[in-house]
Amino acid sequence: MHSDTKADTAATAALRDVVPIIAAIMPFGMVYGTVAAGSGLTLVQTLGFSASVYAGASQLAALQLMGIGAPIWSVLLTVFALNFRHVLYSASVGRHFRLFSRPAKALAFFLLVDPTFGAAEAKAARGELTERYYFVYALLLYIAWLIASGLGAIFGSFIEDPAVYGIDFVLPAYFLALVMTFRRRSNFWPVASASAGASIVIYTLVGPPWHVTLGALTGVAVAASMPVQRRSATGIDGSQPRGEEVP
Amino acid sequence: MSEIWLIIVLAGLLTYLTRIGGHLLIQVIGALPPRLEAALDAVPAAVLTTIFAPVMISGDWPERIALILCGLLAFRVPLIATVAIGAGFVALMRALL
Repeated sequence: MHSDTKADTAATAALRDVVPIIAAIMPFGMVYGTVAAGSGLTLVQTLGFSASVYAGASQLAALQLMGIGAPIWSVLLTVFALNFRHVLYSASVGRHFRLFSRPAKALAFFLLVDPTFGAAEAKAARGELTERYYFVYALLLYIAWLIASGLGAIFGSFIEDPAVYGIDFVLPAYFLALVMTFRRRSNFWPVASASAGASIVIYTLVGPPWHVTLGALTGVAVAASMPVQRRSATGIDGSQPRGEEVP
Repeated sequence: MSEIWLIIVLAGLLTYLTRIGGHLLIQVIGALPPRLEAALDAVPAAVLTTIFAPVMISGDWPERIALILCGLLAFRVPLIATVAIGAGFVALMRALL
């Protein structure tokens, strides 16, 4: 009885923590679904992409690159680069999965997105992170992401000409706004300016998809060449994802 | 269209690699060097910037003005509102021009 009550408490806590996050990510999932439908993906493909990648920014970036006819390698490289931040999350949060069984651990990493990372770190900092808490939180968020993608796709399939509604501009606006959420990081302005300048020059001189690959490398090179700020051992300060709150 | 499924599957595998990779890496090498970490930290901003910046060249005046408008809005309003206002502005300008 006692352990049941404890498990119930963990599930309730997870539910309480995840509901506001679900409300926050639903619009983004719907934006992705609408853009995907506008880009010619079927409902199954739209859902399949959300189910396999489960990372909104990279899904939208992939759509944008497929839309300009970029080769597969550059789409994959962009998705990989955009999701690379998970390496840092994974390095940190893995310490709190010690008590999980092996299959549970493997699934836990699959469901690791920005809000899940934040919640797991916060829970671990306050005490013990249980499988029950983590999976109630993470699975509900995952299911909500699929539902939102599907709703967006259904909505998007009713729109005949996406350009009339400015839906093609959703992607640049989304990426610009997302980049601006990083603006308090110490090297943000030098990195963003270098990437913006380089991508525009390379877009003009060489063309897509090189403006993404080489433009991003320019920004990363600027970051690597700047004086290093002191940080904690894993670079993760504990409780919050650094940057966007979107999966 | 099979190309899309190829992307869906491979992008999913690569993303899973990033999600489990940090854990595996840290077990092998311990902590990451600070300079590498600073470089990795800059990757999202660096990549995302390259996706919208060329719109200043490839877009027309509605898109260019909207992009600047969104840049200013992003200081003040939530992300989703910036997106909605930006797209709405472009739609309006296209309807008027």
